[in-house]
Amino acid sequence: MILYDAHHLPECYAVRLFAALVGAPLTLVPVDVYPGHEHRSDDFLARNPLGTLPVLVDGDTVWTDWQEMLAALALRHDAAWFPAHDPALIGWLGMARDLAASLGLARLIDTFGAPGDAAAARAHADVLLDEIERRRWFGERAGKVWVMPQAHPTIADVAVFVFIALCEDAGLSLRDRPALRRWIDRVRFAPGFIAMSGVFPPMANVTR
Amino acid sequence: MTNLATGVWYAIAADHDLVDGHVYRTVLGGHELAVWRAQSGTVQVWDDRCPHRGVRFSLGEVVGDDLRCQYHAWRFGPTGACTFIPAQPQMKVPGTIRARTWPVAQSGGLVWTGIDPAGPVPDLPPGTVARAIPIARPAAEVAAALVALEGLAPVVQPLDAGTTMVRAIATDGDVPRADRVLVALRRRLESAV
Repeated sequence: MILYDAHHLPECYAVRLFAALVGAPLTLVPVDVYPGHEHRSDDFLARNPLGTLPVLVDGDTVWTDWQEMLAALALRHDAAWFPAHDPALIGWLGMARDLAASLGLARLIDTFGAPGDAAAARAHADVLLDEIERRRWFGERAGKVWVMPQAHPTIADVAVFVFIALCEDAGLSLRDRPALRRWIDRVRFAPGFIAMSGVFPPMANVTR
Repeated sequence: MTNLATGVWYAIAADHDLVDGHVYRTVLGGHELAVWRAQSGTVQVWDDRCPHRGVRFSLGEVVGDDLRCQYHAWRFGPTGACTFIPAQPQMKVPGTIRARTWPVAQSGGLVWTGIDPAGPVPDLPPGTVARAIPIARPAAEVAAALVALEGLAPVVQPLDAGTTMVRAIATDGDVPRADRVLVALRRRLESAV
């Protein structure tokens, strides 16, 4: 499969990370979004009229929604990551989109000069992070280590991780959100984990 | 850093905050702290700063009885002494390379520290440790508001001059109720500016 990719976008990282976690080989094609605006070129818009990244291509099949890509990769490689029977999955994937529109937006405004109201985006993100912290804290007390109740991690963990792990880029902190920090470490220590700029990999020089 | 009394024990973490391999991060009166539990079970409270290049220890990991810094993987043991420098594997590490350690006590499901704390740790009633709630108001104001709360035995951790962490024992064991009460208090104090 070919992934049209921009390294700095959390949505692209989500697909790269999840492919690594389930062992799906990807051929990466970097698209110069910033500063090249290559995603606004005729060639790219012919592939994805929305002009968004990532884009995943497998033969004649083209995916333009990053969450749909996670589901498609899970169905192909390890369906335990995609508990489609549980309505909570809809809620968590929606939460990830809300994080994209708040935390993700604040990060793009601060670091890439995107237009928008960074303070308003941060305020919304703060509310979401507080709520996810609350859910995680009570989840831990109930013995749940991932965002969904399943014992196995899910695409929901990946979908919210890629935003929360980059929150300092958006001027937000996890200092007073200890359950989120523990969950971040759990994701980082998952077999196959890969990092991106701004996310620390688990240390490689010593076997855990 | 002006609001931290010497000679006082402050609760800065709950026992359940310290999970395997993980470095808990907090701040006490402006002092950034890294808190972790060694494999042997001893709890450590250190300045959240590697003496080598100043990177936050809380970005690192716990490996056995050592904390390993994220930046150059230097390791530090429970006394704070550096135990291993990967780039100089043959070298005996000089004893002068040390993390700055803080006093530690564990009591009532909480981890306590302070600057030259004197006497025993405050005795809290039995119960269950509730979720710690940060409130963007000074410690004295938060402490005054906590007096009126029933079923809670609270302690405050000044984070910096304008922010306070509230830790509490739910004396009836009803942690969800304690959580709602503390979050409501946070809303009330933060909106009454």
